[in-house]
Amino acid sequence: MNRRRFMTLTGSTLALLGGGQAFAQQPQQGRLRIDPTEFRPIPIAITNFVPGSPADGEVSNGVTQVITNNLKRSGLFAPIDQAAFIERISNIDVAPQFQNWKTLNAQALVTGRMTRQQDGRLKAEFRLWDVVTGQQLAGQQYFTSPEYWRRIAHIISDQIYEQMTGEKGYFDSRVVFVDETGPKERRVKRLAMMDQDGANVRYLTRGSDLVLTPRFSPNSQEITYMEFGQGDPKVYLFNIETGQREIVGNFPGMTFAPRFSPDGQRVIMSLQQGGNSNLFVMDLRSRSTTRLTDTPAIDTSPSYSPDGTRICFESDRGGRSQIYVMAAGGGQAQRISFSKDDNNATYSTPVWSPRGDYIAFTRQGGGQFSIGVMKPDGSGERLLTSGFHNEGPTFSPNGRVVMFFRDPGGNSGPSLFSVDISGRFEQKVPTPGFASDPAWSPLLSATAGQ
Amino acid sequence: MNVDKTLVASIVLHVLVLGWGLLTFSSKAYIAPEESLPVDIISTDQLAQMMSGQKTGDKKEPKPKVEKVAEAKPEEDSVGKVTEKKELIKTNSTPDTPPPPKPVEKPVEKKPDPPKPVAETKPKEEPKPQEKKPDPAKEDPIAELQKKLDTKKPPPKPVEQKVAAVQPQQQPKPKERTFDPAQIARDLDKRAATRHELTGSALNASASLGSTSGTAANNIATWQGAFQGAVKRCFTPTYNGQDANLYEADIDIPMKIDGSLASEPVIVAVRGPSRSIAQAVAESAKRAIVQCQVYSFLPKQQYDSWKLIPMTFGLKDML
Repeated sequence: MNRRRFMTLTGSTLALLGGGQAFAQQPQQGRLRIDPTEFRPIPIAITNFVPGSPADGEVSNGVTQVITNNLKRSGLFAPIDQAAFIERISNIDVAPQFQNWKTLNAQALVTGRMTRQQDGRLKAEFRLWDVVTGQQLAGQQYFTSPEYWRRIAHIISDQIYEQMTGEKGYFDSRVVFVDETGPKERRVKRLAMMDQDGANVRYLTRGSDLVLTPRFSPNSQEITYMEFGQGDPKVYLFNIETGQREIVGNFPGMTFAPRFSPDGQRVIMSLQQGGNSNLFVMDLRSRSTTRLTDTPAIDTSPSYSPDGTRICFESDRGGRSQIYVMAAGGGQAQRISFSKDDNNATYSTPVWSPRGDYIAFTRQGGGQFSIGVMKPDGSGERLLTSGFHNEGPTFSPNGRVVMFFRDPGGNSGPSLFSVDISGRFEQKVPTPGFASDPAWSPLLSATAGQ
Repeated sequence: MNVDKTLVASIVLHVLVLGWGLLTFSSKAYIAPEESLPVDIISTDQLAQMMSGQKTGDKKEPKPKVEKVAEAKPEEDSVGKVTEKKELIKTNSTPDTPPPPKPVEKPVEKKPDPPKPVAETKPKEEPKPQEKKPDPAKEDPIAELQKKLDTKKPPPKPVEQKVAAVQPQQQPKPKERTFDPAQIARDLDKRAATRHELTGSALNASASLGSTSGTAANNIATWQGAFQGAVKRCFTPTYNGQDANLYEADIDIPMKIDGSLASEPVIVAVRGPSRSIAQAVAESAKRAIVQCQVYSFLPKQQYDSWKLIPMTFGLKDML
């Protein structure tokens, strides 16, 4: 090596040292180290499910489509276009030719079969293959009524998601929201429920009274929400199966912003008293209520931590609406929201992640409404999306995705959107009309036994 | 007028020194940039080793194919060379046949005194002197082509091979002759391959990795960086939540000397708040290692140093 090359190499080395983010880090303890600096979705090949009989062709294609859409919308997977497939799977009991899928750079391969049984039930089978190592990662079969084929597709999607990421999926879940129809000045708002992908919409109320802030119970069987009836707005409980509803408590003033505790035994809410509002919790069995805050301010939007020991809520006790955290039984509250770049920014509608790692919020500042997340101690604040009006975040059952509603203003109306907690994958959630105030249910398959 | 000679001498000397400095520095400022090297952060010991050479290195690696070709193939000026071959000019009666197989005649050799001037009906294009070929075993492609042309009368089938010898005396068909510059270009391309080989072996007298005494190939940091980059291309972990920086997977990679995996990578340890997520990170890393092989760029002379590559996969920068 001559002197000039030495200088060049030395200069490059110094540049790397000074640059901080070097191409590769120095091996630690004799090991080379790799930390990916960019996120890339996993390329996955999802073949058409094989129909057990010609009559099963439609449902087979439907299941394939639902799985593909689920994984694609998660942002973590990149389903490969079927037009590029080299091999056609006709028998899922035979191992595929992995070289045909390696050529497509697929890391995983999904095969499946849908067969109508003689007893009328639908049998769904699927296999998940690791294309690179040629091993089967998962293989399951399910039996269900034919009308529940979409649910089966969601469950299979969750299996694939969990196998590839190590985390629970969120596809077998529902969203309750406020459906809005009619002109802006006479908007009809109904309680509605749908699958997380926008399918199977059901309307739970007729729209004669205004409804707001619906929230699922932990077993997904009940919904608590606020409704403007003849008198003061009240918090209601709605049983999804029976359609029955009841008022939660009998308070003299307006009650609003209800939410279930993680064990489903209590409902926490705000009670208006004069110009203030405070937090109360009501035991659903004993119907006894407990006051949690007592301040000359507006305390509202409470949300439990997953372990039920703490709550976060918004309060303007400091002059502006900010997020506070305190013990579930009340006591000293600690403010956790502090804007670094805008002293006038306000924070509202906090909601604790089911995973416990983040609190999502709505932030208003600089003329924009943003949806963001921060750690429960207030650190690591990160805005996921910003715009004219974004509000009302709710977490997916696995805490990886946040759904919210966005209103573009003018004569238009709000729509639902979802964004992953990295802020990379934002997309619109299809709804029949305008929609607001979404609330995500827990994973249905996880709560089936409750 | 009294001039201080020392002052004059001082001025002259200063001008000389400054002028020399200007010229020298300005010329060095325009040194062409070096070709970039894949480098990594290296310690002073590694750098010293790289600079000092390898005492225990194998000294009988003269790279024979590079160093003893000079006299065998003198590179020569291909213009104006005279060979014993006769000038051949063919014509083509069917210029509309597909170009690749189509035999197209062209003058292949310029002779100062052609024994048989070909009757030409068209203005003469520049005749192409045939290259003198030092290797008798190899036939000139153009001459080969010409032989093929000569053996068959009708143009459609150029497949005829094995003409006994070069026949300089062919029946010229002046009326069928056409000038096809594209075919000339194609024939030139055929010759270019020969010249490439000659030029490469004649001019490149050193090994591909620096000089014969250099030890650039022993730069451990270089192959490590390249290996990290190669695996990184295929590493697609999905977790980007809280505490992503806490997730790590230690994997040992047994390698063969050709750069492929000797066996499946071994997950030595996984770390992170969630065991299932950490395991998924490790599986993703394994897929990346397998998918991105073969790592043929790894220096074979250092096989002992990468026979087993211990790696740690982390998620430090995922959020």
